[in-house]
Amino acid sequence: MRSRRFPLWTLLGVVLVVALLIGSGVFSSSPPTNAQRAAAIESVIRCPSCEDLSVAVSTAPAAITVRATVRRLVDQGRSDQQIEDYLAARYGSAIVLEPPTSGWSLLVWALPIAAGLAGLAIVVVVLVRRRRRGSAALDADVRGPMVDPAVLEERRRFLTQSLADADAEYLAGDLSDADYLSLRQRDLARLAALGDAGPPTEDGGPGPGAGIGAPTAPAATLLAARPAEAVVASGGAKARRRRRNRWFLIGSVACFAAALIVAVPVFASGRLPGQTATGSVSLSPSQQVARALDQAAAVEDQGQLGPAAQLYQTVLDAHPDNEVALAQLGWLEYRIGQQGSSATLISDARTKLHQAAVLDPGDYAVHLYQGTLDLQLDKNAPGAVGQFALFLAARPPATVVSQAAPVLRQAYAAAGTPLPAGIPTT
Amino acid sequence: MTDVIAPEAIPAPRPPRRPTRHTARWVGVTVLVIAAGLIAVLATRPPTTTTEVQSPLLGHPAPRISGVTVDGKAFALPRAPGTFVVVNFFASWCVPCQTEGPDLVQFAFQHHKSGDAQVVSVVFDDTVSGARTYQATLGATWPTLADHSGDLALNFGVRAPPSTFLIAPDGRVVAYLVAPVTAADLDQLIARAKAAGL
Repeated sequence: MRSRRFPLWTLLGVVLVVALLIGSGVFSSSPPTNAQRAAAIESVIRCPSCEDLSVAVSTAPAAITVRATVRRLVDQGRSDQQIEDYLAARYGSAIVLEPPTSGWSLLVWALPIAAGLAGLAIVVVVLVRRRRRGSAALDADVRGPMVDPAVLEERRRFLTQSLADADAEYLAGDLSDADYLSLRQRDLARLAALGDAGPPTEDGGPGPGAGIGAPTAPAATLLAARPAEAVVASGGAKARRRRRNRWFLIGSVACFAAALIVAVPVFASGRLPGQTATGSVSLSPSQQVARALDQAAAVEDQGQLGPAAQLYQTVLDAHPDNEVALAQLGWLEYRIGQQGSSATLISDARTKLHQAAVLDPGDYAVHLYQGTLDLQLDKNAPGAVGQFALFLAARPPATVVSQAAPVLRQAYAAAGTPLPAGIPTT
Repeated sequence: MTDVIAPEAIPAPRPPRRPTRHTARWVGVTVLVIAAGLIAVLATRPPTTTTEVQSPLLGHPAPRISGVTVDGKAFALPRAPGTFVVVNFFASWCVPCQTEGPDLVQFAFQHHKSGDAQVVSVVFDDTVSGARTYQATLGATWPTLADHSGDLALNFGVRAPPSTFLIAPDGRVVAYLVAPVTAADLDQLIARAKAAGL
């Protein structure tokens, strides 16, 4: 039985290994894109200002700067090792989440493997010992009662006594013919079985208790009367059950294998090189853009214009036509440019806002930003009013209108145009 | 009524099994070896003040310090500044930064007269307006760089505010401190660097 089940487990192991190999992308040969490479590096760089987070998942400004730097270095064509060295030269080697495989840090890698191997060796030794002891115990269980001559003799003596009792009772007229015959047949059969030292019968073996308790039940009598047939019959049922179990096992393994072969490549295909198979969330490109935009907006709301601008720039690097990123980055460049009185930033802001307006003329934010630039930078109140009219036509949310109200009032007053309805006057 | 148990009925507790003399000796030797190793490692490390930490930059030329200040002015520190420079990364929300603020002001004032040291602050993880207000309230008259891109912090390997670097007149980084600094700490570090011939 044991030797027959072995190929099934081997098959299961082979299926598992093959499916994992396919899923791990060993066979896919296409080189990673720059974005994939950057993502892979980011997932192994520690966020400088947080504990045990990679810069890939952190929104801390320092992590955003590191991400921008990694992307810049990847675009410059630096190798993974060069980029890690670049960061390690500034933050120290602990900036890389994976410890180096040399010097004392090698222990971090070697010890778990050594401990695992030692554990495996212990398990194997224990299992082998237990199996040896277990099979010895099993042998003793099957043959023990038959082998021990004292027990054997005791049972034989008991059955002989039982036969003698039946004879005496029959002679005394206490037993019917049929009862006497069945009793005698049963005891003789048991005596014969005992002499053969065969396998124990179904009703618990020829123990002393069974000899006394069973005789009145017809089924038990029948079974006991024909022990050989009984064994064959139950043996047949057992074989059927065993066969059914085996098919069930084969079926389960086949289903498991099929599910694994389908599931592993499907789930693993979204994984970027360098990402672990477990524990990391992989996002589709559109999800990544949405996440980056959300992060940028959150950082911008905190007033951290520089990091927010970097996040929008990251989106634009991958998707130069992303209208939201263009508009927001343009607006941020204008604000940062004003703080630092940078003419280049401000002119760049103008270009970006113009591009965004071309891409999506229906975006109210772009018109609000352009109108503000017209008013504050160019002192062009009529132009600003034109933009603000477009802004209001795009039906912005009420909160945005009330936020923008002071600028709108200023523009309409300067242009001498009456303020449209729906704008708070104070 | 409580049951009274005769003292004789309670079996005398067996003495706990003592480890054999060999086991005790081995455990003792192992502990001693580990302790000796620890002492050796700790004793041979370079002595440091309480707030000074290691950085890959120590002994190397400092990264370039230039950019726009919170007041919108351009600022660039020469490669070899000719004086000691204290580069202080800070944020207005950071409590240890508020602790060290007055000491930095005092240090800058003292060394402005002697002309052998200057202070440059860099905003870390903070809004420019918040940092500007904070510095104005503190009375910090030295340049405070906005570091919009975060590149300065990255090049210095700054993890959290406050982080203070001491740069020698030849432009090399001589000390890195991550806790609130005092004017006395900075003077001591400068004296140490001067003694080392910088």
